Amino acid sequence: MSTKHSKAAEKFLKDYDKVTRHDQTFWSVRAKRDVLAYELKEWEQLREAASNIKKHTITHLADYLEEFERNATANGAIVHWAKDADEYNDIVMQIMQAHDVHKVVKGKSMLTEECHLNSNLIKHGIDVVETDLGERILQLMGLPPSHIIMPAIHITREQVKDNFAQQGILEKNGKMGAESMGVSDKTQLEAEADPTYLTRCARYHLRDNFMEAECGMTGANFAIASTGEIVVCTNEGNADMSTSVPLLHIASVGIEKVIPNYDAMGVFQRLLARHGTGQATTVYTSHFRKPRPEGEFHIILVDNGRSNFLADPEHWQTLKCMRCGACMNTCPVYRRSMGYSYTYFIPGPIGINLGMLKDKDANYHNCSACSLCLSCENVCPVQVDLGTQIYKWRQNLDSMGHADPMKKAMSQGMKILFQNPKLYTTALKFAPLANSLPSFLTGIKLNAWCKYHTMPHFASKSFHEMWKKGEVK
Amino acid sequence: MSTRENILNRLRQNVRETYDMPDLSFEKTTYADPIAEFIHQTTTTAGAKLIEVKPGDDLNELIRQAYPDAHVIASNLPNIKADKNPDTVSCAQDLDGTDVGVVEGGVACAENACVWVPMNMKQKAILFISESLVIIVHRENIVSNMHEAYEWLKAKDASPEGTSLYGFGTFISGPSKTADIEQSLVYGAQAAKSLTVLLI
Repeated sequence: MSTKHSKAAEKFLKDYDKVTRHDQTFWSVRAKRDVLAYELKEWEQLREAASNIKKHTITHLADYLEEFERNATANGAIVHWAKDADEYNDIVMQIMQAHDVHKVVKGKSMLTEECHLNSNLIKHGIDVVETDLGERILQLMGLPPSHIIMPAIHITREQVKDNFAQQGILEKNGKMGAESMGVSDKTQLEAEADPTYLTRCARYHLRDNFMEAECGMTGANFAIASTGEIVVCTNEGNADMSTSVPLLHIASVGIEKVIPNYDAMGVFQRLLARHGTGQATTVYTSHFRKPRPEGEFHIILVDNGRSNFLADPEHWQTLKCMRCGACMNTCPVYRRSMGYSYTYFIPGPIGINLGMLKDKDANYHNCSACSLCLSCENVCPVQVDLGTQIYKWRQNLDSMGHADPMKKAMSQGMKILFQNPKLYTTALKFAPLANSLPSFLTGIKLNAWCKYHTMPHFASKSFHEMWKKGEVK
Repeated sequence: MSTRENILNRLRQNVRETYDMPDLSFEKTTYADPIAEFIHQTTTTAGAKLIEVKPGDDLNELIRQAYPDAHVIASNLPNIKADKNPDTVSCAQDLDGTDVGVVEGGVACAENACVWVPMNMKQKAILFISESLVIIVHRENIVSNMHEAYEWLKAKDASPEGTSLYGFGTFISGPSKTADIEQSLVYGAQAAKSLTVLLI
């Protein structure tokens, strides 16, 4: 029995060039992170501090949420609470209907993915436009993100061009896109699917949308309790454009995003981009405190299961995660199987754990997507023990009724073998006979191990036997 | 019971063991010459331009030299000649088509070229919608790292005028950028395509 992850990964692995490109892309981001890590002598102290700040905040979360709400309200923001995705979507719809919103421009937010916001908005006749370039490309292609920070990295420039052509974007915005590069004729740029040209076409396509939208939505990287403000980090400035033109701003914030104060913010600001994309900072680190003049600022605090994760003694520390993506970039399995192979919308080590906390029956498949190399634990900026937690989930797969029956049978066989020395010695004595068996018998595909390996050659004498005869020097 | 109380109660019930806020007083990287490091980071990694303003220099002249093709300049700074004013435009959309926005920054950070720009104007769109952005930075506001930058903000917050008029501020490090298409670095995603720091 193979998991859904391993089956999907097997398909992805058939395209050797694509896998290699994917692997090298994310490894290069990991390498950039390392360069920045070595530049700061306090690197490990920052990680330790970040982990401890999160542990402190999460175990005092009710107090900090109250403090945040009090200060945000004093700033003039309107704070809402949502227990789950349905309540969250209802609150969003109420706000939108009160403002007669027809179009929303939106910054990247994993929480809105988690709550299926976009499909809900569309169902209610509201046009929702993703404004992060990667997210917009995927939205136009009808695809989900494959990574939380670099969502469309698996799409080629040719695919982007073809899609922009289909959508009429090249026709409508191509001239301005080319002119912004100082080029009067776009033909050559289009033929080459030039990334700058395509980005600029999207720039002016999105500009049109920013001008028309009645509402801007963002997530939040951090919510600061002592000041009641939220912090949003982007490179493109799309969250800022989304909230600088429309007068209505709705921020969707997972309750675990709260941190105590500016002292904590200094630690996280230095870690987030260095870990996620290998940059010393994102271009914009925007602090939203009050509504704009004549505007409204709504903050929706969303639980959606998080308060229950806290009760899990083995897995509560996943709540420390700040969604930087470093664990994906370093993961040898993620790099060679990519986001779509996972059953949960967040892939990689953190996604495996969050998926299990969310719905074990739907997401146990992802537990096989780990070699237990623990590289993720060594890079995580808030020291979540990601690989160790995956190991713990695996130990419980049997009690959940999701153990692989083949592996289970083999384990039971091995248990009998290893508990019975006589049987073990006898088996070992006859093992070399397997060497002379034809490979179609030993390399059977029933044994998953044999798919990518040839059977080992058994030595004619075991170590035991040699030791007893004094042949070991 | 309301959702709010439900969530807060569950959070209080589900805590098993509590942890203290850690001591954050460990030594952080500082630079012998933060101004030199700020200039270096701004003009290399951040991808911005930087002009060191000398005594007697005319800021309007420097801006014109940096952006000779600019038709529309927006600013609310009293000493800057501008065609549009973010305080008096009728709505944010009116700032679309701005070639150069000129604003004044607060604290600036050497380690990552971040400049704090508070919303000292009615329409903060000027910071993002302008094709190019010019930020005036004062040398005495340059610090080494983000811890010091947040200390600076805390001090401002405690002062009578507060951090900003309308309660928004952003650290900006270079022009808007993206690498979403095949990891090619492109400046000018959704916000400013170029950024110039005028260092006073």
